[in-house]
Amino acid sequence: MSFSRVTRKRSVGLSKTYFILGVAMTVYGVFLSNVLTLIPEDAGNMGGTPVELLNSFPFLSVAFLSLSALLFSLPIVMLFVYDKNNGVLEYLLSTGLDQLDIFKGYVKAALSLAAYLLVFAVVFNTVFGVFLGTSLTLLIVMAVLTFVIGMSEVFLVTISMMAFSSLQKTPMGANQPLGIIVGIVPMFPALILPMIFPLYAIVIDSLIAAITLLISLALLMSVGRLILREKLLP
Amino acid sequence: MQKLELHELSAGYGSEEVIHKISLKITEPSIYVVLGPNGAGKTTLFRTICGILKPFSGQATFDDADLFESKEARRRLAYLSHLNALPEEMTVFKALKYYADIEGGDVEHVLDVLNLNDLRDKKFSSLSQGQKKRVSVGKILLRERDLYLLDEPTSNVDPKISRELREILVKLSVDKFVFYSSHNLYEAREIGKYLILIKNGELKFFDRMENLRTGQYRVGIKTLNDVSKLMPEAVFENRYYVRTVNGPQEVAEIVRGLVREGAEIVELRELDNPLQEFFEEE
Repeated sequence: MSFSRVTRKRSVGLSKTYFILGVAMTVYGVFLSNVLTLIPEDAGNMGGTPVELLNSFPFLSVAFLSLSALLFSLPIVMLFVYDKNNGVLEYLLSTGLDQLDIFKGYVKAALSLAAYLLVFAVVFNTVFGVFLGTSLTLLIVMAVLTFVIGMSEVFLVTISMMAFSSLQKTPMGANQPLGIIVGIVPMFPALILPMIFPLYAIVIDSLIAAITLLISLALLMSVGRLILREKLLP
Repeated sequence: MQKLELHELSAGYGSEEVIHKISLKITEPSIYVVLGPNGAGKTTLFRTICGILKPFSGQATFDDADLFESKEARRRLAYLSHLNALPEEMTVFKALKYYADIEGGDVEHVLDVLNLNDLRDKKFSSLSQGQKKRVSVGKILLRERDLYLLDEPTSNVDPKISRELREILVKLSVDKFVFYSSHNLYEAREIGKYLILIKNGELKFFDRMENLRTGQYRVGIKTLNDVSKLMPEAVFENRYYVRTVNGPQEVAEIVRGLVREGAEIVELRELDNPLQEFFEEE
Protein backbone atom coordinates (compact mmCIF):
# COMPACT_ATOMS: atom_id res chain seq x y z
CA MET A 1 0.00 0.00 0.00
CA SER A 2 1.42 3.41 -0.96
CA PHE A 3 2.35 5.99 1.66
CA SER A 4 -0.48 8.32 0.59
CA ARG A 5 -3.07 5.53 0.78
CA VAL A 6 -1.86 4.52 4.25
CA THR A 7 -2.01 8.17 5.30
CA ARG A 8 -5.53 8.53 3.95
CA LYS A 9 -6.64 5.36 5.71
CA ARG A 10 -5.08 6.47 8.99
CA SER A 11 -6.79 9.86 8.86
CA VAL A 12 -10.16 8.20 8.31
CA GLY A 13 -9.55 6.03 11.36
CA LEU A 14 -8.39 8.95 13.50
CA SER A 15 -11.21 11.40 13.03
CA LYS A 16 -14.59 10.46 11.65
CA THR A 17 -16.20 13.66 12.94
CA TYR A 18 -14.80 15.77 10.13
CA PHE A 19 -16.00 13.35 7.49
CA ILE A 20 -19.49 13.42 8.90
CA LEU A 21 -19.36 17.22 9.12
CA GLY A 22 -18.08 17.45 5.53
CA VAL A 23 -20.92 15.33 4.17
CA ALA A 24 -23.50 17.14 6.33
CA MET A 25 -22.28 20.51 5.12
CA THR A 26 -22.44 19.33 1.51
CA VAL A 27 -26.07 18.24 1.87
CA TYR A 28 -26.94 21.46 3.69
CA GLY A 29 -25.17 23.62 1.09
CA VAL A 30 -26.85 21.89 -1.85
CA PHE A 31 -30.25 22.06 -0.21
CA LEU A 32 -29.94 25.70 0.88
CA SER A 33 -28.59 27.09 -2.39
CA ASN A 34 -31.20 25.29 -4.47
CA VAL A 35 -34.23 25.68 -2.24
CA LEU A 36 -33.79 29.45 -2.01
CA THR A 37 -34.33 29.65 -5.76
CA LEU A 38 -37.88 28.37 -5.17
CA ILE A 39 -38.89 31.56 -3.33
CA PRO A 40 -41.50 33.28 -5.51
CA GLU A 41 -40.46 36.58 -7.04
CA ASP A 42 -43.36 38.42 -5.40
CA ALA A 43 -43.09 36.72 -2.02
CA GLY A 44 -43.11 38.58 1.28
CA ASN A 45 -42.86 42.26 0.53
CA MET A 46 -43.87 44.90 -1.89
CA GLY A 47 -40.80 44.65 -4.03
CA GLY A 48 -40.59 40.84 -4.00
CA THR A 49 -37.24 39.05 -4.34
CA PRO A 50 -35.14 40.57 -7.09
CA VAL A 51 -34.65 38.21 -10.02
CA GLU A 52 -30.87 38.84 -9.98
CA LEU A 53 -30.62 37.71 -6.36
CA LEU A 54 -32.59 34.56 -7.14
CA ASN A 55 -30.08 33.77 -9.86
CA SER A 56 -27.15 34.18 -7.47
CA PHE A 57 -28.47 31.78 -4.80
CA PRO A 58 -27.16 28.66 -6.59
CA PHE A 59 -23.67 30.14 -6.29
CA LEU A 60 -23.86 29.72 -2.53
CA SER A 61 -23.20 26.04 -3.18
CA VAL A 62 -19.75 26.84 -4.63
CA ALA A 63 -18.58 28.25 -1.31
CA PHE A 64 -20.40 25.65 0.78
CA LEU A 65 -19.10 22.69 -1.19
CA SER A 66 -15.54 24.02 -1.24
CA LEU A 67 -15.65 24.44 2.52
CA SER A 68 -17.06 20.92 2.83
CA ALA A 69 -14.06 19.57 0.90
CA LEU A 70 -11.73 21.46 3.21
CA LEU A 71 -13.49 20.08 6.25
CA PHE A 72 -13.47 16.58 4.78
CA SER A 73 -9.71 16.59 4.23
CA LEU A 74 -8.86 18.34 7.50
CA PRO A 75 -7.95 15.09 9.32
CA ILE A 76 -4.98 14.75 6.93
CA VAL A 77 -3.65 18.12 8.04
CA MET A 78 -4.20 17.19 11.67
CA LEU A 79 -2.49 13.86 11.09
CA PHE A 80 0.50 15.70 9.66
CA VAL A 81 0.85 17.78 12.84
CA TYR A 82 0.34 14.67 14.97
CA ASP A 83 2.99 12.69 13.05
CA LYS A 84 5.39 15.60 13.20
CA ASN A 85 5.04 15.97 16.96
CA ASN A 86 5.33 12.21 17.55
CA GLY A 87 8.58 11.97 15.60
CA VAL A 88 7.08 9.82 12.84
CA LEU A 89 8.15 12.26 10.12
CA GLU A 90 11.65 12.48 11.54
CA TYR A 91 11.90 8.70 11.41
CA LEU A 92 10.58 8.60 7.85
CA LEU A 93 13.31 11.05 6.83
CA SER A 94 15.94 8.83 8.39
CA THR A 95 14.73 5.82 6.39
CA GLY A 96 15.75 7.47 3.15
CA LEU A 97 12.57 9.33 2.24
CA ASP A 98 13.09 13.00 1.62
CA GLN A 99 10.85 15.89 2.55
CA LEU A 100 9.19 16.00 -0.86
CA ASP A 101 8.28 12.30 -0.71
CA ILE A 102 6.58 12.94 2.62
CA PHE A 103 4.95 16.13 1.39
CA LYS A 104 3.57 14.35 -1.68
CA GLY A 105 2.19 11.56 0.50
CA TYR A 106 0.13 13.93 2.63
CA VAL A 107 -0.90 16.20 -0.25
CA LYS A 108 -2.04 13.27 -2.38
CA ALA A 109 -3.99 11.86 0.55
CA ALA A 110 -5.66 15.23 1.22
CA LEU A 111 -6.46 15.89 -2.46
CA SER A 112 -7.84 12.40 -3.02
CA LEU A 113 -10.11 12.70 0.02
CA ALA A 114 -11.29 16.12 -1.15
CA ALA A 115 -11.85 14.76 -4.66
CA TYR A 116 -14.09 11.98 -3.34
CA LEU A 117 -16.30 14.49 -1.58
CA LEU A 118 -16.28 17.02 -4.41
CA VAL A 119 -17.32 14.44 -6.99
CA PHE A 120 -20.18 13.40 -4.74
CA ALA A 121 -21.04 17.04 -4.01
CA VAL A 122 -21.12 18.32 -7.61
CA VAL A 123 -23.08 15.31 -8.84
CA PHE A 124 -25.56 15.75 -6.00
CA ASN A 125 -25.82 19.49 -6.62
CA THR A 126 -26.26 19.05 -10.37
CA VAL A 127 -28.95 16.38 -10.03
CA PHE A 128 -30.78 18.37 -7.36
CA GLY A 129 -30.45 21.59 -9.37
CA VAL A 130 -31.78 19.99 -12.56
CA PHE A 131 -34.66 18.55 -10.56
CA LEU A 132 -35.56 22.04 -9.30
CA GLY A 133 -35.19 23.59 -12.74
CA THR A 134 -31.83 25.34 -12.48
CA SER A 135 -30.08 25.83 -15.83
CA LEU A 136 -27.81 22.88 -16.68
CA THR A 137 -25.16 25.20 -18.12
CA LEU A 138 -25.09 27.16 -14.88
CA LEU A 139 -24.80 23.93 -12.89
CA ILE A 140 -21.87 22.76 -15.02
CA VAL A 141 -20.10 26.10 -14.57
CA MET A 142 -20.65 25.85 -10.82
CA ALA A 143 -19.39 22.26 -10.80
CA VAL A 144 -16.14 23.37 -12.45
CA LEU A 145 -15.75 26.35 -10.11
CA THR A 146 -16.46 24.20 -7.04
CA PHE A 147 -13.91 21.64 -8.11
CA VAL A 148 -11.20 24.20 -8.84
CA ILE A 149 -11.75 26.21 -5.65
CA GLY A 150 -12.19 23.13 -3.46
CA MET A 151 -9.04 21.38 -4.66
CA SER A 152 -6.98 24.60 -4.60
CA GLU A 153 -8.17 25.34 -1.06
CA VAL A 154 -7.19 21.89 0.18
CA PHE A 155 -3.80 22.15 -1.50
CA LEU A 156 -3.27 25.64 -0.09
CA VAL A 157 -4.01 24.59 3.47
CA THR A 158 -1.92 21.41 3.26
CA ILE A 159 1.16 23.10 1.84
CA SER A 160 0.83 26.08 4.20
CA MET A 161 0.72 23.77 7.19
CA MET A 162 3.88 22.03 6.06
CA ALA A 163 5.78 25.11 5.01
CA PHE A 164 4.98 27.46 7.88
CA SER A 165 5.46 25.94 11.31
CA SER A 166 3.73 28.89 12.99
CA LEU A 167 0.48 27.56 11.52
CA GLN A 168 0.80 24.31 13.43
CA LYS A 169 0.13 25.65 16.90
CA THR A 170 -2.66 24.16 18.92
CA PRO A 171 -3.53 27.14 21.09
CA MET A 172 -5.07 26.66 24.51
CA GLY A 173 -5.38 22.92 24.06
CA ALA A 174 -7.62 23.28 21.02
CA ASN A 175 -6.87 20.62 18.48
CA GLN A 176 -7.39 22.88 15.47
CA PRO A 177 -4.29 23.75 13.51
CA LEU A 178 -4.19 27.44 12.63
CA GLY A 179 -3.47 26.61 9.00
CA ILE A 180 -7.13 25.99 8.26
CA ILE A 181 -7.70 29.74 8.52
CA VAL A 182 -5.67 30.03 5.33
CA GLY A 183 -8.36 28.00 3.63
CA ILE A 184 -11.41 29.45 5.32
CA VAL A 185 -10.65 33.16 4.82
CA PRO A 186 -10.89 33.13 0.98
CA MET A 187 -14.29 31.49 1.30
CA PHE A 188 -15.92 34.50 2.95
CA PRO A 189 -15.95 36.56 -0.26
CA ALA A 190 -17.33 33.51 -2.10
CA LEU A 191 -20.19 33.36 0.40
CA ILE A 192 -20.98 37.07 0.65
CA LEU A 193 -20.01 38.86 -2.56
CA PRO A 194 -22.36 36.96 -4.94
CA MET A 195 -25.24 38.05 -2.68
CA ILE A 196 -24.17 41.70 -2.74
CA PHE A 197 -23.40 41.78 -6.44
CA PRO A 198 -25.74 39.12 -7.85
CA LEU A 199 -25.14 40.14 -11.46
CA TYR A 200 -21.44 39.43 -11.08
CA ALA A 201 -21.74 36.17 -9.10
CA ILE A 202 -20.15 34.08 -11.82
CA VAL A 203 -17.32 36.59 -12.31
CA ILE A 204 -16.63 36.78 -8.57
CA ASP A 205 -16.47 33.01 -8.13
CA SER A 206 -14.32 32.68 -11.26
CA LEU A 207 -11.92 35.28 -9.87
CA ILE A 208 -11.72 33.49 -6.51
CA ALA A 209 -11.11 30.20 -8.34
CA ALA A 210 -8.38 31.79 -10.44
CA ILE A 211 -6.68 33.43 -7.44
CA THR A 212 -6.69 30.30 -5.24
CA LEU A 213 -5.49 28.21 -8.18
CA LEU A 214 -2.69 30.67 -8.97
CA ILE A 215 -1.55 30.85 -5.34
CA SER A 216 -1.59 27.05 -5.15
CA LEU A 217 0.44 26.75 -8.35
CA ALA A 218 2.91 29.37 -7.12
CA LEU A 219 3.35 27.45 -3.88
CA LEU A 220 3.74 24.22 -5.83
CA MET A 221 6.53 25.81 -7.88
CA SER A 222 8.31 26.91 -4.69
CA VAL A 223 7.79 23.70 -2.81
CA GLY A 224 11.48 22.80 -2.96
CA ARG A 225 12.37 25.96 -1.08
CA LEU A 226 9.38 26.02 1.25
CA ILE A 227 9.42 22.45 2.54
CA LEU A 228 12.68 21.78 4.30
CA ARG A 229 13.60 18.62 6.20
CA GLU A 230 14.13 20.67 9.33
CA LYS A 231 10.48 21.71 9.28
CA LEU A 232 9.38 18.11 9.71
CA LEU A 233 11.20 17.70 13.02
CA PRO A 234 9.23 17.54 16.28
CA MET B 1 35.85 -1.90 4.60
CA GLN B 2 32.90 0.28 5.63
CA LYS B 3 33.60 3.72 6.93
CA LEU B 4 31.73 6.63 8.40
CA GLU B 5 33.47 9.93 8.05
CA LEU B 6 32.62 13.32 9.42
CA HIS B 7 34.64 16.09 7.93
CA GLU B 8 34.57 19.49 9.65
CA LEU B 9 30.85 19.00 10.21
CA SER B 10 28.87 21.99 11.46
CA ALA B 11 25.08 22.01 11.71
CA GLY B 12 22.16 23.41 13.62
CA TYR B 13 18.68 24.86 13.30
CA GLY B 14 17.73 27.97 11.37
CA SER B 15 20.76 30.19 11.66
CA GLU B 16 21.91 28.81 15.00
CA GLU B 17 24.93 26.55 14.75
CA VAL B 18 24.81 23.80 17.38
CA ILE B 19 27.70 21.50 16.46
CA HIS B 20 30.97 22.97 15.32
CA LYS B 21 33.49 21.45 12.92
CA ILE B 22 33.33 17.86 14.13
CA SER B 23 35.70 15.53 12.34
CA LEU B 24 36.12 11.82 12.89
CA LYS B 25 36.59 8.64 10.92
CA ILE B 26 35.19 5.28 11.97
CA THR B 27 36.04 1.98 10.35
CA GLU B 28 35.70 -0.61 13.11
CA PRO B 29 32.27 -2.15 13.85
CA SER B 30 31.64 -1.48 17.52
CA ILE B 31 29.57 0.48 20.01
CA TYR B 32 30.46 4.15 20.04
CA VAL B 33 29.00 5.94 23.02
CA VAL B 34 28.25 9.57 22.29
CA LEU B 35 28.34 11.27 25.61
CA GLY B 36 27.66 14.81 26.62
CA PRO B 37 25.60 16.92 28.97
CA ASN B 38 22.08 17.93 28.00
CA GLY B 39 22.21 20.45 25.18
CA ALA B 40 25.71 19.42 24.13
CA GLY B 41 24.60 18.67 20.56
CA LYS B 42 24.22 14.88 20.59
CA THR B 43 20.81 14.85 18.94
CA THR B 44 21.90 17.45 16.41
CA LEU B 45 24.93 15.34 15.57
CA PHE B 46 22.73 12.27 15.04
CA ARG B 47 20.22 14.17 12.93
CA THR B 48 23.02 15.50 10.77
CA ILE B 49 24.60 12.09 10.30
CA CYS B 50 21.15 10.74 9.37
CA GLY B 51 20.83 13.36 6.68
CA ILE B 52 17.84 14.97 8.37
CA LEU B 53 19.65 18.25 8.98
CA LYS B 54 21.61 19.91 6.23
CA PRO B 55 25.16 20.65 7.35
CA PHE B 56 26.03 24.34 7.56
CA SER B 57 29.46 23.30 6.40
CA GLY B 58 31.46 20.11 6.14
CA GLN B 59 30.17 16.71 5.22
CA ALA B 60 29.01 13.40 6.67
CA THR B 61 29.71 10.42 4.43
CA PHE B 62 29.15 6.70 4.65
CA ASP B 63 31.42 4.78 2.33
CA ASP B 64 32.09 8.09 0.60
CA ALA B 65 28.39 8.72 -0.15
CA ASP B 66 27.08 12.02 1.19
CA LEU B 67 24.44 11.23 3.80
CA PHE B 68 22.41 14.37 3.15
CA GLU B 69 22.34 13.96 -0.61
CA SER B 70 22.12 10.20 -1.05
CA LYS B 71 18.87 8.38 -0.29
CA GLU B 72 20.66 5.08 -0.82
CA ALA B 73 23.25 5.92 1.82
CA ARG B 74 20.52 6.94 4.25
CA ARG B 75 18.75 3.63 3.72
CA ARG B 76 21.80 1.92 5.19
CA LEU B 77 21.32 3.51 8.57
CA ALA B 78 18.71 3.42 11.31
CA TYR B 79 17.89 6.22 13.69
CA LEU B 80 16.09 5.81 16.98
CA SER B 81 15.19 9.21 18.33
CA HIS B 82 14.25 9.90 21.93
CA LEU B 83 10.60 9.87 20.79
CA ASN B 84 8.88 6.59 20.06
CA ALA B 85 7.97 7.70 16.53
CA LEU B 86 5.17 5.21 16.01
CA PRO B 87 1.54 5.85 15.12
CA GLU B 88 -0.02 5.70 18.57
CA GLU B 89 -3.49 4.82 17.32
CA MET B 90 -2.36 1.51 15.80
CA THR B 91 -1.80 -1.90 17.34
CA VAL B 92 1.80 -2.98 17.82
CA PHE B 93 1.67 -5.22 14.75
CA LYS B 94 0.08 -2.57 12.54
CA ALA B 95 2.44 0.15 13.76
CA LEU B 96 5.46 -1.94 12.77
CA LYS B 97 3.73 -2.98 9.55
CA TYR B 98 3.25 0.73 8.77
CA TYR B 99 7.02 1.13 8.50
CA ALA B 100 7.55 -2.29 6.93
CA ASP B 101 5.19 -1.24 4.10
CA ILE B 102 7.20 1.92 3.53
CA GLU B 103 10.76 0.68 3.85
CA GLY B 104 10.49 -3.11 3.78
CA GLY B 105 11.23 -5.60 6.54
CA ASP B 106 9.85 -8.54 8.46
CA VAL B 107 7.45 -7.68 11.28
CA GLU B 108 7.06 -11.28 12.50
CA HIS B 109 10.82 -11.60 12.90
CA VAL B 110 10.96 -8.43 15.01
CA LEU B 111 8.08 -9.59 17.20
CA ASP B 112 9.97 -12.84 17.83
CA VAL B 113 13.37 -11.25 18.47
CA LEU B 114 12.00 -8.71 20.94
CA ASN B 115 9.44 -11.05 22.54
CA LEU B 116 6.62 -8.79 21.52
CA ASN B 117 4.16 -11.45 20.41
CA ASP B 118 2.05 -11.03 23.53
CA LEU B 119 1.65 -7.34 22.69
CA ARG B 120 1.02 -7.68 18.95
CA ASP B 121 -2.71 -6.85 19.07
CA LYS B 122 -2.50 -4.25 21.81
CA LYS B 123 -2.90 -0.61 20.94
CA PHE B 124 0.44 1.17 21.04
CA SER B 125 -0.98 4.05 23.09
CA SER B 126 -2.06 1.61 25.82
CA LEU B 127 1.45 0.24 26.44
CA SER B 128 3.74 1.17 29.31
CA GLN B 129 6.78 3.38 28.63
CA GLY B 130 9.10 0.38 28.66
CA GLN B 131 6.91 -1.63 26.28
CA LYS B 132 6.66 1.35 23.96
CA LYS B 133 10.42 1.65 23.89
CA ARG B 134 10.79 -2.03 23.00
CA VAL B 135 8.34 -1.66 20.12
CA SER B 136 10.06 1.52 19.08
CA VAL B 137 13.37 -0.33 18.92
CA GLY B 138 11.58 -2.94 16.84
CA LYS B 139 11.15 -0.55 13.95
CA ILE B 140 14.90 -0.14 13.50
CA LEU B 141 15.31 -3.91 13.45
CA LEU B 142 12.80 -4.46 10.65
CA ARG B 143 15.62 -4.78 8.18
CA GLU B 144 19.35 -4.97 8.45
CA ARG B 145 21.36 -1.75 8.38
CA ASP B 146 25.03 -0.96 8.58
CA LEU B 147 24.90 1.95 10.97
CA TYR B 148 22.59 2.33 13.96
CA LEU B 149 22.16 5.62 15.78
CA LEU B 150 20.27 5.47 19.05
CA ASP B 151 19.51 8.65 20.92
CA GLU B 152 19.31 7.92 24.64
CA PRO B 153 17.47 4.63 24.11
CA THR B 154 17.39 3.70 27.79
CA SER B 155 15.99 6.92 29.19
CA ASN B 156 12.71 6.37 31.07
CA VAL B 157 12.90 2.57 30.91
CA ASP B 158 13.43 0.15 33.76
CA PRO B 159 16.77 -1.63 34.33
CA LYS B 160 15.52 -4.93 32.89
CA ILE B 161 14.56 -3.39 29.56
CA SER B 162 17.74 -1.31 29.55
CA ARG B 163 19.74 -4.50 29.90
CA GLU B 164 17.79 -6.23 27.12
CA LEU B 165 18.38 -3.28 24.84
CA ARG B 166 22.06 -3.23 25.59
CA GLU B 167 22.30 -6.94 24.85
CA ILE B 168 20.69 -6.40 21.45
CA LEU B 169 23.10 -3.58 20.69
CA VAL B 170 26.11 -5.62 21.74
CA LYS B 171 25.03 -8.35 19.31
CA LEU B 172 24.55 -5.82 16.53
CA SER B 173 27.92 -4.25 17.15
CA VAL B 174 29.76 -7.43 16.13
CA ASP B 175 29.59 -6.39 12.50
CA LYS B 176 27.76 -3.05 12.55
CA PHE B 177 28.48 0.48 13.68
CA VAL B 178 26.33 1.35 16.68
CA PHE B 179 26.18 4.92 17.96
CA TYR B 180 24.59 5.21 21.35
CA SER B 181 24.04 8.56 22.96
CA SER B 182 23.70 8.97 26.67
CA HIS B 183 24.29 11.40 29.46
CA ASN B 184 24.67 8.55 31.91
CA LEU B 185 28.34 8.22 32.83
CA TYR B 186 28.06 4.73 34.24
CA GLU B 187 26.03 3.32 31.37
CA ALA B 188 28.58 4.76 28.95
CA ARG B 189 31.42 2.92 30.61
CA GLU B 190 29.46 -0.31 30.77
CA ILE B 191 28.51 -0.57 27.15
CA GLY B 192 30.91 1.49 25.09
CA LYS B 193 34.13 0.40 23.54
CA TYR B 194 34.75 3.80 22.05
CA LEU B 195 33.79 7.15 23.47
CA ILE B 196 32.80 10.24 21.52
CA LEU B 197 32.55 13.13 23.90
CA ILE B 198 30.67 16.24 22.88
CA LYS B 199 30.49 19.42 24.86
CA ASN B 200 29.12 22.76 23.71
CA GLY B 201 28.83 21.34 20.22
CA GLU B 202 32.50 20.49 19.97
CA LEU B 203 34.24 17.14 19.89
CA LYS B 204 36.25 16.89 23.10
CA PHE B 205 37.39 13.30 22.98
CA PHE B 206 37.29 10.37 20.59
CA ASP B 207 39.19 7.24 21.49
CA ARG B 208 38.87 3.88 23.16
CA MET B 209 37.17 4.11 26.54
CA GLU B 210 40.22 2.87 28.45
CA ASN B 211 42.35 5.70 27.10
CA LEU B 212 40.16 8.27 28.74
CA ARG B 213 41.82 8.30 32.16
CA THR B 214 43.72 11.56 32.38
CA GLY B 215 44.14 12.60 36.00
CA GLN B 216 44.08 11.32 39.54
CA TYR B 217 41.17 9.28 40.81
CA ARG B 218 40.16 7.40 43.93
CA VAL B 219 39.84 3.68 44.49
CA GLY B 220 38.19 1.94 47.44
CA ILE B 221 39.52 -1.34 48.80
CA LYS B 222 37.37 -3.51 51.06
CA THR B 223 39.10 -6.18 53.12
CA LEU B 224 38.14 -8.72 55.75
CA ASN B 225 41.04 -7.79 58.00
CA ASP B 226 42.46 -4.47 59.20
CA VAL B 227 45.04 -3.12 56.71
CA SER B 228 45.31 0.38 58.06
CA LYS B 229 48.93 -0.21 59.03
CA LEU B 230 49.74 -1.50 55.56
CA MET B 231 48.18 1.59 53.96
CA PRO B 232 48.77 4.48 56.35
CA GLU B 233 47.98 7.04 53.62
CA ALA B 234 44.50 5.55 52.98
CA VAL B 235 41.37 7.10 54.46
CA PHE B 236 38.79 4.72 55.91
CA GLU B 237 35.35 5.70 54.51
CA ASN B 238 32.16 3.61 54.50
CA ARG B 239 34.05 0.32 55.05
CA TYR B 240 36.53 1.07 52.23
CA TYR B 241 40.15 2.02 52.46
CA VAL B 242 40.28 4.89 50.00
CA ARG B 243 43.44 5.76 48.08
CA THR B 244 44.09 8.42 45.47
CA VAL B 245 46.04 7.01 42.53
CA ASN B 246 47.46 8.20 39.23
CA GLY B 247 46.55 5.24 37.03
CA PRO B 248 45.64 1.55 36.77
CA GLN B 249 49.29 0.52 37.13
CA GLU B 250 49.49 2.04 40.58
CA VAL B 251 46.30 0.21 41.61
CA ALA B 252 47.83 -3.11 40.53
CA GLU B 253 50.95 -2.40 42.60
CA ILE B 254 48.91 -1.55 45.69
CA VAL B 255 46.85 -4.72 45.40
CA ARG B 256 49.94 -6.87 44.88
CA GLY B 257 51.59 -5.34 47.94
CA LEU B 258 48.52 -5.84 50.12
CA VAL B 259 48.08 -9.47 49.11
CA ARG B 260 51.75 -10.12 49.75
CA GLU B 261 51.35 -8.76 53.31
CA GLY B 262 48.33 -10.98 53.98
CA ALA B 263 45.41 -8.63 53.24
CA GLU B 264 42.16 -10.41 52.43
CA ILE B 265 40.70 -8.24 49.68
CA VAL B 266 37.02 -8.81 48.93
CA GLU B 267 36.28 -5.81 46.76
CA LEU B 268 38.03 -3.17 44.74
CA ARG B 269 36.14 -0.30 43.19
CA GLU B 270 36.76 2.94 41.42
CA LEU B 271 35.04 5.69 43.32
CA ASP B 272 35.11 8.49 40.73
CA ASN B 273 33.95 8.18 37.17
CA PRO B 274 36.64 9.54 34.84
CA LEU B 275 33.92 10.99 32.62
CA GLN B 276 32.69 13.17 35.41
CA GLU B 277 35.21 15.91 34.82
CA PHE B 278 33.83 16.45 31.32
CA PHE B 279 30.44 17.25 32.75
CA GLU B 280 31.73 19.83 35.15
CA GLU B 281 31.54 23.43 34.09
CA GLU B 282 34.68 24.91 32.66
